[in-house]
Amino acid sequence: MAHSVDTDQLMGDKVTTAALSADSTARRHVGRLDLSTPLFLLLATVLCVLVLLPLFWLGYYSLTTKSGSPTLANFVRLFNDATIRRAFLIALSMALSVGLFSCLVATPLAWLVARTDMPGQRFVRSLVTASFVTPPFLGAIAWAMLAAPNSGILNNIYRWAFGLDQSQALFNIYTFTGLVFAVTCYSFPFVFTLVANAFDKVPSDLEEASAILGGKPGTTLRRVTLPMVLPAMLAGSLVAIVQAFTMFGSPAILALPAGFHVITTKIWSFFQFPPKLDLAAASAVPLLIVTMLLLWGQRWLLGRRGYTVLGGKSGTPRRVKLGNWKWLAGAYVLLILCVTILFPYLALLKVALTHNISEPLSWNSLTLHNFHFVLFEFSSTRLAIWNTLILGLSTATIATGIALVVAYLVARRAAPGAAFLGVLATAPIAIPGIVLGVGLFLAYANPTFGLYGTLWILLIAFLTIELPAGYQQLSSAFHGVHPELEEASRILGATRLKTLWQITAPLLRTSLIAAWCFVFIGTIRELSATVLLTTAQTKLVSVIIYDLNESGDYGAIAVLGLLLLVVSFTVVFIANRVPVLGGAPPRSGG
Amino acid sequence: MSNTNVAAGALLAALTWSQIAWAAPPEPYKVTDELVAAATKEGAVVYYTSTDVQVAEKLGAAFEAHYPGIKVQVERAGSERVFQRIGQEYSSGIHNADVIETSDASHFLTFKDQNWLTPAVPEDVAKMWPERDRDPDGLYAAFRATLTVIAYRTDMVKEQDAPKTWTDLLDPKYKDKLVKSHPGYSGNVMTATYALSQLLGWDYFEKLGKQGVMQVQSSTEPPKVLAQGERPIQADGNEYNVFILQDKGVPIKAVYPPEGTSIAYGNAAILAYAPHPNAAKLFYSFMFSQEAQQLNDDFGGLRSVRPDVKEKSNRTPLSQIKLLESDPANVRDAIEEIKQKYEEYFGT
Amino acid sequence: MAFVELDKLTKRYGQLTVVKEVDLAIEKGKLVCLLGPSGCGKTTTLRLVAGFVQPSDGQIRVGGRVVSSPKASEPPEARNMSMIFQSYALWPHMTVFENVAYGLRLRRLGKADIQTKASRILQATKLESLAERYPGELSGGQQQRVSLARALVIEPETLLLDEPLSNLDANLREEMRFEIRRLHDEFRYTTVYVTHDQTEAMTAADVIVVMNQGNVEQAGSPEDIYERPRSEFVAQFIGGANIFKGKRVGTDTVDCGNGLVLRCGSGDYAASGQMAVSVRHHDLHLTNEKPSGDLANWTSGKVLRQVYLGSHRDYLVSLSGGETVRAIAPVNVAIPENQQVWLHCPPDRCRALAH
Repeated sequence: MAHSVDTDQLMGDKVTTAALSADSTARRHVGRLDLSTPLFLLLATVLCVLVLLPLFWLGYYSLTTKSGSPTLANFVRLFNDATIRRAFLIALSMALSVGLFSCLVATPLAWLVARTDMPGQRFVRSLVTASFVTPPFLGAIAWAMLAAPNSGILNNIYRWAFGLDQSQALFNIYTFTGLVFAVTCYSFPFVFTLVANAFDKVPSDLEEASAILGGKPGTTLRRVTLPMVLPAMLAGSLVAIVQAFTMFGSPAILALPAGFHVITTKIWSFFQFPPKLDLAAASAVPLLIVTMLLLWGQRWLLGRRGYTVLGGKSGTPRRVKLGNWKWLAGAYVLLILCVTILFPYLALLKVALTHNISEPLSWNSLTLHNFHFVLFEFSSTRLAIWNTLILGLSTATIATGIALVVAYLVARRAAPGAAFLGVLATAPIAIPGIVLGVGLFLAYANPTFGLYGTLWILLIAFLTIELPAGYQQLSSAFHGVHPELEEASRILGATRLKTLWQITAPLLRTSLIAAWCFVFIGTIRELSATVLLTTAQTKLVSVIIYDLNESGDYGAIAVLGLLLLVVSFTVVFIANRVPVLGGAPPRSGG
Repeated sequence: MSNTNVAAGALLAALTWSQIAWAAPPEPYKVTDELVAAATKEGAVVYYTSTDVQVAEKLGAAFEAHYPGIKVQVERAGSERVFQRIGQEYSSGIHNADVIETSDASHFLTFKDQNWLTPAVPEDVAKMWPERDRDPDGLYAAFRATLTVIAYRTDMVKEQDAPKTWTDLLDPKYKDKLVKSHPGYSGNVMTATYALSQLLGWDYFEKLGKQGVMQVQSSTEPPKVLAQGERPIQADGNEYNVFILQDKGVPIKAVYPPEGTSIAYGNAAILAYAPHPNAAKLFYSFMFSQEAQQLNDDFGGLRSVRPDVKEKSNRTPLSQIKLLESDPANVRDAIEEIKQKYEEYFGT
Repeated sequence: MAFVELDKLTKRYGQLTVVKEVDLAIEKGKLVCLLGPSGCGKTTTLRLVAGFVQPSDGQIRVGGRVVSSPKASEPPEARNMSMIFQSYALWPHMTVFENVAYGLRLRRLGKADIQTKASRILQATKLESLAERYPGELSGGQQQRVSLARALVIEPETLLLDEPLSNLDANLREEMRFEIRRLHDEFRYTTVYVTHDQTEAMTAADVIVVMNQGNVEQAGSPEDIYERPRSEFVAQFIGGANIFKGKRVGTDTVDCGNGLVLRCGSGDYAASGQMAVSVRHHDLHLTNEKPSGDLANWTSGKVLRQVYLGSHRDYLVSLSGGETVRAIAPVNVAIPENQQVWLHCPPDRCRALAH
């Protein structure tokens, strides 16, 4: 090292020389190699490979002929093919409807939870989070069990209650509306989280100012509070729109039986033999562009009015007293929880325990046949659970690790051009899973890499897909850690990495665990990229559920779905209980 | 040109013809102690199949009971999906599967062209299989035969109201009552769609597409949808799943229209780069044994070409059904057209 | 040779130069205060010394060895310095003891050594009884002392303090000023102390360096700076002063216009042209009687505002020339507002400023 020149000889002061030389011996043991620059380069390379390589192949395939010469023919075909145009438009209108309804459902709920004296607010918040743990495709299957026009449990109850004949049905999930409904059930938490946070942060003095000027509670809500959370509502809706637009599982389960395609299922169909990779790549491009536009809009909205400022200054927000309205509010909350959590879970349980969906529930109809089949006869089960766990744990750990380091480098501007890393780590959010699946297949399935058919390609896919979630979680958490806490460690003799490990990571413990859980759940519920990238040896629970759905084996699906839910909840529970990083719980510092 | 393009090119080349001269079929093989020992040493066999998962797992369990120490890993998906999967895997140089079985006989023509199969003729096949139900070069043989039938819930549709012929399905009274599987997923339905489009013309499907059918993927699913009570009539679907459900007491009945019923031969073969070659041979030979074929029939409701399999008395014997046979080579030529027309008429 | 040397140290952020060619030599064992208004570049200078910021030009030498230059800089962890932060930067997840022992652990000291050294410093900072507490459970003053203990325990070559008292309330601040000086006298580390508070600097520093807009305005002992300011900025920033602009008319006289001619007792004179004279607020004498005799160093005006402050009265006087001056007078000099008033600036209290 260049600076290891012995300092002592250069100093004139004889008295302190002795004292300092002892100290300097001690210092020599301190690992002083600053790894931040090599680490930065390594991360930049990794992120470039993760993000840019699949996109490159996507672009390459969409713009070349089979022999490799440039062409726009794929896009011309795309544009002239009515079925593709139709799928694209249906997907877009489905996504917009989902965004609208998510916002309409989530905003009152967020207001009730954050701004009124409704009881059980914490409970409601955690249940909404629970509905986030439910993979959307599982929710869609559960809703197919509940609301299929003839066999659906709810329809059967309806007919039974009103003594109607078989031709009457209350719901039909196999319709465009049904699809919008089922997707909304699992997209509204995105809006809810953002809006509830925004409600939490509306400084109460603003509302008090309105009240003191004579504004009635209703007026204050309409004129002050709602405008303050409007950007969050819009931003949340945009996230929901993006989620719905890029979703594969639910449309594959509900739209195909209804006889229509959305763009993701259409891309998937291009992979049927003989695969039209060029067309798949080309149709992924508009999907990518629209997603990027939507996210850009969301970012713009959140960027306005200093919206991203963390930690509102006001302590306790003003709470509106509901009085007798609380019954209505309670009914509303109960309805939402029933629709998103209770009914679907009960339906899965019922189907898991009986031979047949439409069979009425009685002691005699109960059976463990489905459990026996899944656990002991179905040879894919064990491998799939094992693979899912391995990938979930490793993706969560690696992605959180990378996200932590990137968030650190960006937040502390620790290396030149660090902001670029942040962009790379956020970029995959704009890449729909199915598009990434296509890109990764094109990039890694070839003999050079030969990664197709291994868990590695799935790990790469999950890392890419989940990195933005982890990164955003952690980069916002960095705002809460005063840089001086790290500088104090460095000036005392710790390198960047040591500081990151000993000071920053423990301080970010809660956020780290949250990010880890986020990624873990995200991995377990991923289907759209997975479905293109798995093989027999790399089966995942999500994919066998999807396969079983295609052959209509609802009993086995229900069992596997419940298993997936139990595993997810257990892992999340454990992660929040075990002090992963050791050390005392963080307290408020000076 | 990139490697990826090579991979994709190879995949696509599967469609193009290549004439390969085959030598005479190999000598039939017996299950010897050496084979069992070698197979046991390999410890596992990976079976890609499109047979209903519960039936396929039963076959696996029966094999495991015979040869303890060899695990059967069943990978079940629709025929077209299995075809897609093996195509993706073999083009990417991944050799997971030992034995493959789909209900679309045209797939095996492609596999053969691609050199993806190992010649192997189990003793039973050599002895008992009719000439037309096995490959002259000994690469594959018919493991099962599946009929694609109309079926209905006897408790929800009276016998006189039930459809008797394919064209009956176009009657307005069946609107929103039908469930149907997808030729892009199921080999049986691909074959049946080919057969019916030849017999009745595309006009038939165009009209059927306006009947508000519930579209499912696998041909195993329509009978299950009937069992759930979601729809009372299947416009097409597997006969064998109807039998399975009948055996479980579901009030469901298959219809054999006088115009004819499409039959699809589900061929099986050992793959060229089987990771467990001996276990593959052992399992392959077991698949054609009387026990396995009888199990297919008893538990799975499948039709067998093996003469000594006893059919259940409550089932209409194959000999009394007018069958529509399809030439796999013709089906193969028609696949793209079928998929395209199908999407035009049915939306997916 | 000075221990810490800043040599033409410059830091630019894009177009903005926040530290301009700062030269500074700090003797070993001295406590140097960087004093200046916010935005004057003092904190950036400190962070340059610490190694958190890399210079755009010039260099920093510690004990003769270059630690910072545009080409290569040692990272902060290699400089054997300690720093006390404005926020204290105590790690909330570690106890007081763990906070203090952290630096020792980094130096791979033995358990016993760590225990002894940490205990000794905790004793010196009167924190023994709080060793097992978490920072969140301490008062502001206690947190400040932990921060000091943590910085001192590693026996740094250089100690850096960044506005260490700005988060404390007035009483504690006063107490801690003396505490810091006491600890400095006890341990005698070469110390760089950044503050915007004049009293703090006066109490603690051996040498005060007044900074303004990235430049060093003046460096010297507290007395030097106060008694002998060399620029308008220093005169006004330290202690407060009235500035009269004018032209030199004699060896030691400056004509400030409107009949005010000031004879100066000390200071630097511009060779010719514009210059200024500074007179501290309490050095202006007020009277309502018209003076007789020599009118040099006298002027008149009208009382704009007068505030009774117990120990003295604070006057704002509008001079006939239009300028407003501030004067502090004994309580017994009570002149009502709007009255004519005469002001006297004793020559030995007038300091000439060349620029």
